[in-house]
Amino acid sequence: MQPEPAVAAARMAVSDEQTLAALRAGDEGAFRDLFARSYPMMKRVARSYVASDAVAEEIVQETWMAIVTGIDRFEGRSALGTWIFSILTNQAKTHSAREKRAMPFSCVATSGDEEPAVDPDRFQKDDDAWPGHWATPPRPWQKPERRLLSLEARDHLKAALSQLPDRQRLIVGLRDVEGHSAEEVCNLLGLSQENQRVLLHRGRSRLRAVLEEYLDAADV
Amino acid sequence: MHNSAPPNNGHSPSEFDLPVDEVSCQHFVELVTEYFEGALSARTLSRVEEHLVMCDWCVTYVEQMRATIASLRELTDERSPEPPDSVVAALRSRRAGGA
Repeated sequence: MQPEPAVAAARMAVSDEQTLAALRAGDEGAFRDLFARSYPMMKRVARSYVASDAVAEEIVQETWMAIVTGIDRFEGRSALGTWIFSILTNQAKTHSAREKRAMPFSCVATSGDEEPAVDPDRFQKDDDAWPGHWATPPRPWQKPERRLLSLEARDHLKAALSQLPDRQRLIVGLRDVEGHSAEEVCNLLGLSQENQRVLLHRGRSRLRAVLEEYLDAADV
Repeated sequence: MHNSAPPNNGHSPSEFDLPVDEVSCQHFVELVTEYFEGALSARTLSRVEEHLVMCDWCVTYVEQMRATIASLRELTDERSPEPPDSVVAALRSRRAGGA
């Protein structure tokens, strides 16, 4: 599941040096471009720390103010994106502390949310004919013309995504909605490939199950 | 069997990627993400592929998972808001020589 080439290329088109020089010179065009490109990711990360979209948007705005006013202090010892990200997470943590929420990555990444990908009752038990094989198998989804899912099903998916646990929502958001690569996400969040995969697996499994339930009910 | 590549292509296997003779459906649904990510050990990948040849239901599961992921991609909101005026003002003052 790779991002489309155009998206990946756009992200790589401008080097750190060019961006830094543009920001220091007050280049509005370059700034607006960077702002727009970074916004979805920044908002998703911020949103994983706080309880509302509105506060997440505030965090992103505060982050950009800190970046623009503090750009001269950036010494280039880390990548620009890393610096931006650390400002973002610091702002997010301040708000999160005000809300008295636990940090999404404060505990070991894979602890909690241990539910299996599919309800075990869907599979045959040890004393059945084919243990471990489907007892209630998945049914192919009807595909409306031109869309993978109907608009209604898509809204349902969007709602289900917003209800995932914070870490799963963030990983699925960055990987599957925004199209970042596994490597980008691991570097951004300081996660191992395996930890990132576990969160992705749980999030995707839950979303597939939600969609299946919705679509099976819609068929009746 | 000659396999000069490192096992798992250098990835550490998950708790589900264990040497088994056969992958069951219940096992497969836990391996599906690693399967998509190309992170399975060579041996487990063979078992998974053997299973998918024989199990239409798990093929359906794969299609459902792919449809879920592809639909998630459609949720991206391509429009970002405009940057706040205060930030643009701060940026403009840099051009004017302010800090």
